[in-house]
Amino acid sequence: MRRVSLLMLLYIFLMPFCALYMQAGTVLEPPQATVSGTVTDTSGNPLAGVNLVVESKRIGTISGLDGSFSIQASPSDVLIFSMIGFKPLTVPITGRDVVNVQMEEDVTQLGEVVLNAGYYTVTERERTGNISKVTAAEFERQPVSNPLAALQGRMAGVNITQSSGLPGAGFNIQIRGRNSIGAGNDPLYIVDGVPFASDPINYSQTSGILGGSISPLNGINPADIEKIEVLKDADATAIYGSRGANGVVLITTKKGRSGKAELNIHLNTTLGRATRSMDLLNTPRYLEMRREAFANDGIEEYPANAHDVNGNWDQDRSTDWQKELIGGTVHRTMARASVSGGSNGTRYLMSGTYQRENTVFPGESGYQKGSVLLNLDHSSDDGRFKLHFSGNYVVDDNDLPAADLTRISRSLAPNAPALYDEDGELNWADNTWNNPLADLESRFSSNSKTLTTNGTASYTVLKGVTAKLNLGYTDARMDDNRVLPSTRYNPAFGADSRYSSVYKGTSSRTSWIVEPQLQWQGDMGPLQLDVLLGSTFQQQDRHQLGLYAQGFPSNELLGDISAATTLNVNLDSGAAYRYQAIFGRINLNYREKYILNLTGRRDGSSRFGPGNQFADFGAIGAAWLFSEEDFIKEALPVISYGKLRGSYGTTGNDQIGDHQFWETYSLGGTNYDGVSVLQPTRLFNPDFGWERNDKLEVGLEFGLWKDRILLAGNYYRNRSSNQLVGIPMPGTTGFTGLQANLDAIVQNKGVELEVTSRLVHTPRVKWQLSLNLSLPENKLISFPGLESSTYANSLVVGKSLGIRKLYYSTGVDPDTGVHRFRDYDGDGVISSPNDQQWTVDMDPDFYGGLANNIGIGRFELDLLFQFTKQQQWNYLYNGGFPGSMMNRPVDVLDRWRQAGDSANEQGYTTGNNADAVSAFYRYSSSNRAVSDGSFVRLKTASIGYRIPAKLTKGMDCRVYLQGQNLWTWTSYRWGDPEFTGVGRLPPLRQITLGAQLTF
Amino acid sequence: MKIQRTIYHLYLLVWSLLIPGCTDFVETDLPPSQLTGEAVFTDRATATAALANVYAGLRSQTLITGGSRGIGNLLGHYTDELDHYGDGIGTIYNFNIHSVLATEPELTTLWNNSYNLIYACNSILEGLEDNTALSEMDREQLQGEALFLRGFIHFYLSQLFGDIPYVTRTDYRDNAQIGKLGGSEIYEQLVADLERAIDLLPELYVTPDRVRVNRYAAMAFLARAALYSGDRERALTLSNDVLDRTDLYSWEEDLDEVFLKGSKGTLWQLKPVSSEGNTLEAQTYIFESGPPINQGALARSFMDGFAPGDQRAVHWTRGIANGTTVWYHPYKYRANLPTGSSVEHSVVLRLGELYLIRAEARMQSGDLDGAIADLNKIRGRAGLSDLEGLDRMSLEVALLQERRYELFTEFGHRWFDLKRFQKAGEVLGPLKPNWREYHLLFPIPQSELLANPNLNPQNDGY
Repeated sequence: MRRVSLLMLLYIFLMPFCALYMQAGTVLEPPQATVSGTVTDTSGNPLAGVNLVVESKRIGTISGLDGSFSIQASPSDVLIFSMIGFKPLTVPITGRDVVNVQMEEDVTQLGEVVLNAGYYTVTERERTGNISKVTAAEFERQPVSNPLAALQGRMAGVNITQSSGLPGAGFNIQIRGRNSIGAGNDPLYIVDGVPFASDPINYSQTSGILGGSISPLNGINPADIEKIEVLKDADATAIYGSRGANGVVLITTKKGRSGKAELNIHLNTTLGRATRSMDLLNTPRYLEMRREAFANDGIEEYPANAHDVNGNWDQDRSTDWQKELIGGTVHRTMARASVSGGSNGTRYLMSGTYQRENTVFPGESGYQKGSVLLNLDHSSDDGRFKLHFSGNYVVDDNDLPAADLTRISRSLAPNAPALYDEDGELNWADNTWNNPLADLESRFSSNSKTLTTNGTASYTVLKGVTAKLNLGYTDARMDDNRVLPSTRYNPAFGADSRYSSVYKGTSSRTSWIVEPQLQWQGDMGPLQLDVLLGSTFQQQDRHQLGLYAQGFPSNELLGDISAATTLNVNLDSGAAYRYQAIFGRINLNYREKYILNLTGRRDGSSRFGPGNQFADFGAIGAAWLFSEEDFIKEALPVISYGKLRGSYGTTGNDQIGDHQFWETYSLGGTNYDGVSVLQPTRLFNPDFGWERNDKLEVGLEFGLWKDRILLAGNYYRNRSSNQLVGIPMPGTTGFTGLQANLDAIVQNKGVELEVTSRLVHTPRVKWQLSLNLSLPENKLISFPGLESSTYANSLVVGKSLGIRKLYYSTGVDPDTGVHRFRDYDGDGVISSPNDQQWTVDMDPDFYGGLANNIGIGRFELDLLFQFTKQQQWNYLYNGGFPGSMMNRPVDVLDRWRQAGDSANEQGYTTGNNADAVSAFYRYSSSNRAVSDGSFVRLKTASIGYRIPAKLTKGMDCRVYLQGQNLWTWTSYRWGDPEFTGVGRLPPLRQITLGAQLTF
Repeated sequence: MKIQRTIYHLYLLVWSLLIPGCTDFVETDLPPSQLTGEAVFTDRATATAALANVYAGLRSQTLITGGSRGIGNLLGHYTDELDHYGDGIGTIYNFNIHSVLATEPELTTLWNNSYNLIYACNSILEGLEDNTALSEMDREQLQGEALFLRGFIHFYLSQLFGDIPYVTRTDYRDNAQIGKLGGSEIYEQLVADLERAIDLLPELYVTPDRVRVNRYAAMAFLARAALYSGDRERALTLSNDVLDRTDLYSWEEDLDEVFLKGSKGTLWQLKPVSSEGNTLEAQTYIFESGPPINQGALARSFMDGFAPGDQRAVHWTRGIANGTTVWYHPYKYRANLPTGSSVEHSVVLRLGELYLIRAEARMQSGDLDGAIADLNKIRGRAGLSDLEGLDRMSLEVALLQERRYELFTEFGHRWFDLKRFQKAGEVLGPLKPNWREYHLLFPIPQSELLANPNLNPQNDGY
C-alpha cells in the first residue's frame, strides 16, 4: 500500500509543474477564405468521409456523400486529406478557391488501422500484443440483440455459443479456453472506457426459461456499436491486472462525424424459425414400442394411467408436437434513426433504436428493446483540450412464457390429445394429461433499464504531455417477475386464485469509476517513447429484493402483490465491491522497427480479506518489424510487412463474488414462529487470494504483395494457478464447498491462424476473403488431492477440463436384452464411479470462420461460414428410457426383441424391469451418448445493393437481404449441434430484409 | 483558458480527495442482510432466529418436511402406503418402483440439507458455549432445543442410511474426514444429547401452539429412539412419564380433532410459514379429481386392509371418483389452502404414537395386558372393539396393524416399522417387483463417498 501512496504523491507533486505550461500563447492568424472542392478516387467516384485538416491550424472537416467539402483556410495553407485505405494526400492551396483532388488507394493499410487497447491506442502495424477487432461494417446487418452474437465465427481464439434461441437469452463466451475450475470464466467488458459488469442481476426465481439468468449485455444495443476489440495476450491484458485473466472485450459506440448534419435511417424486418427438429417415432411405431415394453415386462393388462395404449387416447391420432409447440414463426422489426454532424471543433451523434420480436411458441409473447445513444466530442481550437461524453440508455422488456416448450415437444406421446377442445378451451381429455399449453399461462417478464455514461477530459499540458481524466457511471435496473396463475392447473383440481402465486424481483447495480491518467509521448532521436501512468478507483453496489406472493382474491389482481394473502420477502440483499489500482505503460519504439512494451498494474480489491487485498500484475511485450530491415527489403521484396512479436506476463481473476471471506449469518428468506430465520452463510476461510494467470505468446505476421495477403499465426500458452475454487466438501461439513485457493494448474495452449486476402481488387470488383482458425488445447496440469475431491469423477490430471468420464458400452446382452458395460475394476458389478473410466473431451478440437466480402459495382455480397469440430451429446443425454410414456427418436427402433437378437438398443421396458432401467441410465452416461457434433454453418449470407444517387435524389440508399443460420452441414441428427443445453430452444434460422437511408 | 484551468484544478481536487481514503478504500462493510457469526449470539432475538432456521428447514425444506420430497411422501411410496400416478420419471417414481441409486439427486439433497441443519445446531451450541451475553434461562432453552434437533436429525439419518457420522462440531477440517458410527454408538450419542436436552428444556412451551420443543417432547422422542434401539426399559419409563402428565396432554377422542392446531394430544408440531397458511402435507396429498396426476394416492392394498368399521378410513382418508374408479388420498390434514387464521400445523410428536410406543415396550417386557390396554385406547377412538386375551404372536400382528393405520403417511413410520419387525421383504416383495433385501438401507450419496473416502464402504448392494 505504501508503494501506491508514494507513486501517487509523486504524481501529485509533478502536476503543479505541468500547470506552469498551461498558458498557451495567442498566435496571430492570417486572413481566412473559404476553400471548397470535391474528393474522388482514381476511377472518379466521389469519396465520402475523407478527413480533411488544415495543417497550420489542426482544424478539419469531413467530405460529404458527394465527396464535396468546404473549409476556412488561408490561401497559403496546406490541406491534408486522409482516409483509411487511401494514401494520405497533402495539397497546398496556393491561393485557389476550389481544390479538387483524387486520392489513390493504398494497398498497404496496416499503419492506418488504429486499435483500441483500452487505456491507449496502437496501430495494427506496431502492436506488440494480440488484439482482434470487428467493426460495425462487418456485423451491422446481422439482426442480433446481443453484441456477442455478432462476434460468432469472426475472431480466432474466441469461442461463443448461444444458450437459447429465445430473445434475451445469454451467450457463453470463452477467450482462449477455460482458465478457472471454480471461479468465473467471463472476460472483462469495457464499454466506452467504463467497466460493464456482465454477471446477471436478476432474481433467480423468475427467469427459469432463460436458465435463471438474464444477460446484462442486452443492455448494449448492437446497432450502436462502432467496433469491438478483444484483448487476448498478456501484453494487451496485463494493464487490466486482476480482471484480465479471461481476456478483455472493448466495446466502442458510434461517434459523430463533423460536417453537415446527416440523418441515417435503418429499417429491417426478420422472419425466424426453429430448425433441425428431431426425427421422432410416429404414432404406430410409438404404440408398438409401448406395447412391446408392456409385453417385455410381462404386464398383460394395461394400467389405468397408461392412457396412450389403454384406449383412453385415440390410437390413430398423430401430432407433430415439435411443429405444434415450437414451430411458430418469429417476426422481428428493427428501426434505427441517427443524426450526426458537427462543426470544426465539435461533433455529435444521437441515435434511437426500437426493436420488437415475438417467439416461436403459440400465444402472445414478445421482446421489445428501445435505446438512445448520445455521443459528443469537443476539441478546443488549438487541439489541446478535448472533451468527450457518451451516454447510452437501453430499455428492454421481455414477456415470455415461464417454461420452454422445447423439451415437452420432443417427449410428448404422438397420440396425446388435441390442445384445444371443440369450444376452443384447453383440452384436459378427462384429466388424462397435463396440457402443455397450460405452461404458457405462467408468465415470465422482465424490464431492464441500463444507463452507461462516460466522460473524458484531456488536456495537453505541454508538448507531448497529456493529462486525462476518465469518469464513468453505470446504472442497471431490473424488474422481473414470474406469474403462476391458478389457470395453469387442470380446472378439475378446483384450484382457484388462492393457488396463484407471483415471484417478483427488483434489482439494481450502480457503479462509478474515476481514472486520472498522465501520458507523455516524446522522442530521443530515433527512439520514440510513450509513457502512461494512471490510477483507478471504482465502486460497485448492488441490491436485490425478491418477493413471493401467494393466494389472490382474483386472478385479475396478480399484478398487485399487496392483494395476496401471503407475502414473503425472500431476499433483500446487497453487496458492495471496491476496487483500486495504479497502472502504467512504457512503450519504446526504435526506428519503427524494434518495439518494446511494458505494462503493469497494482490492484486492490475488497473481495479479499485483510492481507490479501493487493497484488501486482505486469507484462512485457516486444515486436520486431523485420520487413523494415534493409536485407529483407532487398532479398524478399515480396514481403511488404513482416513482424515477429512475443509477450509474457501475469494477469489475475477475482470473479468469486463479494464478501466471501467473512464468517456470516444471513437471512434465510423465511420465518418460523414469527421469527425471520438466520442461517450460517458459508464455511468461511479468510485467507483466500487472487487467481493467477501467466500468459505466454509468440506471433508471426506477414504481408505479401503489398499486403494483398496478410497472414498471422500465434502460439499461446496460458497457465492459470492458485485456482480459486469452491473446494468441494462432503455434506457432513454442513456445506458442499469451501472458497479457497487450490494449488491446481490449468493450461490453455493453442495455435491461431488468420488469413486476410484481397483476392480481387479492381475498381469494379472486390473480393476479400478472411479466414480464422483456432486450435485450442486445454489441460489440467496438476490438482493436489483430486482423488478425494468431488472433482475426482469429472477431472483427470493431464486432460482437459471439458472431459466427461463415462461408462463404456459393450453392447446389448443377447440373452437378457439389457445393456452391458466394461467392468473396469473387474469386481463383477457395474458401478459408479469405478466403472466410469472412458473419457471424452467435449471441448472443440478446432473452430473458426471464413468470411467472404464481395463487391461488384453497386452490389455487395457477404458470406460468413462458421465451423467447429467437436463432440456433442446426442438424444440419450437426459432422455428417458425407451418404453416409458415418452416419445423417443427413431434410433430406438433398432432394439433387442428376443433372446439371441443383436441390436443397438436394449429391449423396451415400462420401468418395471429395474435392471433395464438402471442399465439405460448408465447407457445414457456412456460413450454411446456422445456423437460427432462437428458442423459447418452458413452463419450469415447477405446481399446488398446501393441504389444510384440519381434515382434517390441525392439520398444514399442501400437495401439488403440477409440470412442468419441458413444452412448447417453436420452428421449430427438430434437437433442443433452448436446447442448445449437440453430442452432449450435452439438458435433460429432467420431471414432479414432491410434498408439503410442517409440524407 | 480560464475554464481549462478550473478543470485542471478540479482534476487535482479529485486526486486530493481520493488519496487520503486510499488505504481504507478497498475495505467494505457487510451488507445489512448479513451478520457476523459473533454478533448473532450477543442478542436473544438473533440467537433465536438462528434456531428458527433449523425448525424452518425441517418444516419446508428437508427430511420431515410435509412437501413431496419429505420422507413422509417418499417412504409412503417406498412402502405399501402410496401408489404413484405419473409419467414414469423422477424421484418419486424411483422410490415407488424401488429404483433408488446412489446418484439420486433428491437423496443427495436430503443428506446435504440434513447435515446443513446439524451444522446450524452445532454452530448455535458453539456460539452459546461460555456465552455471557444471554440470560441463563435463554441460553439453556436454546441449547436444549439445539441438542434435541441435532439428535432428532441424526436419528432419522441413521434410520435411513444405517451407519452415519454423528457430527457435533463445526470445524470443517474434522468434519470433512469424519468416519461413520455403528448403530449402538449412534444411539449412545443420541441418548447423551437427548438427556442433556431433557435437563435443559423447561417443562412448559416457550411460545404458544407447541411449535418449539419442551422437556416432554424430548422425552417422547427419546422414548421412540429407545424403542427402536431395543432399549425397552427406557422406552417404558419415558412414555409413562409423558403419559402421566395428563394436565398438559390429554387424549382427543374425536378423530377430526387430532390434527387441529389446538389438539391437546400434540407434543410438538411445525408451524406453517404464514399465519393463514396450513400444512404442506395437505398440499402434497390432497387431489380434487381422479386419476391423480404426478401425485400419490393411497394404495389399493392399504385401503383394503382397514379393519371393518375402522372410522379412520372415513375420517382420515377421502375418496375421489371419476365415475368408474375411486382414488383415495390421506385426509388427516384437510386445509390445503390458506384459511383466515391457520387451523392445522404439521404434527411431529403426538400421544397416539406414545401409546403405541408404550404398548410395544410393554409387549416386549411381557406385560401383554398392559400392551392390549394401550392398543384399545387407539382402537376405541377409531370405533373398533376392544381386543382381549391375545397371545404374543397375535398381539404383535395387532400392534403392527394399529401402527399402520394410526400413523400412516406420517414421516415414514410404516417403513421403520417394517424394518424393525423384519417384515419388509414379506410385505413389499409381492408388491414391488424390484424389491431386494439390501433396500433396507438407502445408498450413501455418491458425491459424499467421493468427497470423503472415510465414509466407505457404500451400503451393500449399491
